[in-house]
Amino acid sequence: MDAPSVSLVRLSVQTPSGDQVFQVPLGTSVRDALDLTELRVRAACGGSGGCGACGVTLVGGAVSPPTTAEYMKLLAVERQQGARLACQMRLQGDAVVRIDDPAPPSQWRSIPPEELIAAPGALPELAQHVYGVAVDLGTTHIRLALWNRKTGQRIATRRGPNPQGTFGADVLNRLSAAHGNPARADELAKLARTAIVQAVRDILKRDVGEVTPMLKEIGEVIVVGNTAMLALLSGRGGDTLLNPDHWAGRIDCQPADRAAFQAQWFMPHAAIHLVDAVAGFIGSDLLADLVATRLTEGAAGALLLDVGTNTEIALWDGTRLHVTAVPGGPAFEGVGLRNGMAAETGAIHRVCRTPCGAFHPASADISFETVAGAPARGFCGSGLVDAVAVLLATGQIKPSGRFAVSPGPDGFLLDSANPRTALFSQDIDTFQRAKAATAAAMAALLQRAGMGWSDIQRLCVCGAFGHRLDIANAQAIGLLPPLDPARIELFADASLAGAEIGLLLPAGAAVFAALGERVAAINLSQVSDYDDRYIDHLRLRPIDINKRA
Amino acid sequence: MLDRIIKDYNDAVFETDKDAAFEVVNNALANGLTAEDVVFKVVIPAVEEMMSDITRDPDANLAQHFMTAQIAAEVTEKMLLKFAHPPEIIGRVVIGTAAGDLHSLGKRIVMGCLKALMVEVLDLGVNVPAEKFVAEALNYGADVIAISAMMVHTATGENGARKVRALLKEQGLEDKIKIVVGGAPYRFDNELYKTVGADGWAADGIAAGKMIVDLIRAGKAS
Repeated sequence: MDAPSVSLVRLSVQTPSGDQVFQVPLGTSVRDALDLTELRVRAACGGSGGCGACGVTLVGGAVSPPTTAEYMKLLAVERQQGARLACQMRLQGDAVVRIDDPAPPSQWRSIPPEELIAAPGALPELAQHVYGVAVDLGTTHIRLALWNRKTGQRIATRRGPNPQGTFGADVLNRLSAAHGNPARADELAKLARTAIVQAVRDILKRDVGEVTPMLKEIGEVIVVGNTAMLALLSGRGGDTLLNPDHWAGRIDCQPADRAAFQAQWFMPHAAIHLVDAVAGFIGSDLLADLVATRLTEGAAGALLLDVGTNTEIALWDGTRLHVTAVPGGPAFEGVGLRNGMAAETGAIHRVCRTPCGAFHPASADISFETVAGAPARGFCGSGLVDAVAVLLATGQIKPSGRFAVSPGPDGFLLDSANPRTALFSQDIDTFQRAKAATAAAMAALLQRAGMGWSDIQRLCVCGAFGHRLDIANAQAIGLLPPLDPARIELFADASLAGAEIGLLLPAGAAVFAALGERVAAINLSQVSDYDDRYIDHLRLRPIDINKRA
Repeated sequence: MLDRIIKDYNDAVFETDKDAAFEVVNNALANGLTAEDVVFKVVIPAVEEMMSDITRDPDANLAQHFMTAQIAAEVTEKMLLKFAHPPEIIGRVVIGTAAGDLHSLGKRIVMGCLKALMVEVLDLGVNVPAEKFVAEALNYGADVIAISAMMVHTATGENGARKVRALLKEQGLEDKIKIVVGGAPYRFDNELYKTVGADGWAADGIAAGKMIVDLIRAGKAS
């Protein structure tokens, strides 16, 4: 299930701090295109042309003619000099624009529309406080969406880094940091809370046009996330989480002081719902995935994988949901690699043996593609999967994970002129351990349910890879089982979609609770042969689906 | 012939190819080598070489540590079943992760190496209370208690190695039973093992095998 292919055009942008070039889908407005990047235009409305803040200068190229809104907002003399509104001007081919006064730098970007899942529903009977916010609080990233719940309209989305990352890339380091140190725990909670409200404010400022009055109109916030993130957000449950005796049970992560939460967010009317986690290391983000993919509405043998720093897995056997989690490490999110990055502008997201698409030729037999076609700045998760699979196929990496020829201190360069394209032995190791943990955990769940690999009728891959994962490559190195690709579906922002669906239901939280009832959580550290499976899955080779799971 | 077998086996281990390693061993047995020869002339030298290689080789990674230790352990276990006489055992170790710690893989490598080095190991699992470490060590006649801790709070906490030390002291067992520790926090602070009351530590699972064997031998010599 690849994303539909679209033709791309070149958008060149001149700014006071230098020029940049982006590959953009034909027909996109300049504002929408740049909202996905770190170079955003100023804005104070939802792109209707109503505020006039997003003025740019057209230097040349193929774009749509000025709209009525532009005739109203721009003087004739300005228009003659090339002045346009970025939200009104759509790309009809390659174009060059100049932005003299870009928006101040921000961590927040819009989520690309092709990654979003439709969330049908509306609450027409709502009389007041009709706005709602859905939040997927991840270890590495925060994703959220602002909705008009009454009309069932998604106003805007944002994605940005979880600022708690400075206290450690993985959940245990952050829990340890907060453990027995109330001031530090407070700081961690505040970081996440501030980030969430900043993202909401960013939406209100840029897509609605007013901030404080609108915050008062927000009636509900639904937060899903892994257990540790919910505990750190609410400031409760973290110490319990560090004690494995409590691992399999529910952990109370509800905020002790909801009023303080509302006050801190300037959202006096918001019902703030932290969706209860399933168990110690199985968060409500997994429940949200299940809601978004409707996994339990289909036949038995449906497996869902939410790939991330903490990878969560659910297997539907027709009556029960067997769930578990593995600390796969942040490699799949592009973190923890020497040249790792999120799937943002300049990330190598695809590597192939033959030239494919609008690519940078690297060497005779390997080429790669970056997000927005920008110069390569590093690898995101899907690019790493591809790189490992391609280098395994060419024999440059062996099944043990070793480079056939030691790459030396500069690493293995996909592009000899760009050090950001280097892969190191350590990166392959980090990757092998993450993929082995994932495959071994899937195998353990299948065994628990009395199933084998070939019993999987549907495999939903959610989380860090988004739509970008190359299924054949993931199968070649043993990350995914070699099933008929028609059974494998990729979802980019399923957790967020689940939270959004909850937002649009009269009693949204009940949906999550009902799923929670069907869950049987498995702690892999108490599965005796998990370690053996894990070691067996370290080698870079396809999973043998005829062997016992 | 032996040189050829050793080379093929070492190549298979280097490639972390378990199937190939077993093929070499099975061919060797078919060609008249004894299980004892396989262990003492092929497997143990390979483990020892691996120890020195891995510390020298900047490209060796953790995934390869896991796989090589696993191969050594599995081959040794299979061969032990075929021994004409029970092998001479160097010593006994009980191993587990500290209370509060569920990270089982570090001890996995250590166990693989110890088995291949003719040390008997009893795995106490994860999240092991200090009292259990001591009671099981006494029961098993262990020379060493090995405690793995991957997180700072389980490495330095009151219920981990510190408590095991206190219990050994209380019960007058400090001469009989040594404590060794391993895990990430000890790599960040090479003196930490002393702070928590351990007699030894190692930076990785394979080095731990050698350190424990040396500690047992020193204990038996004194």
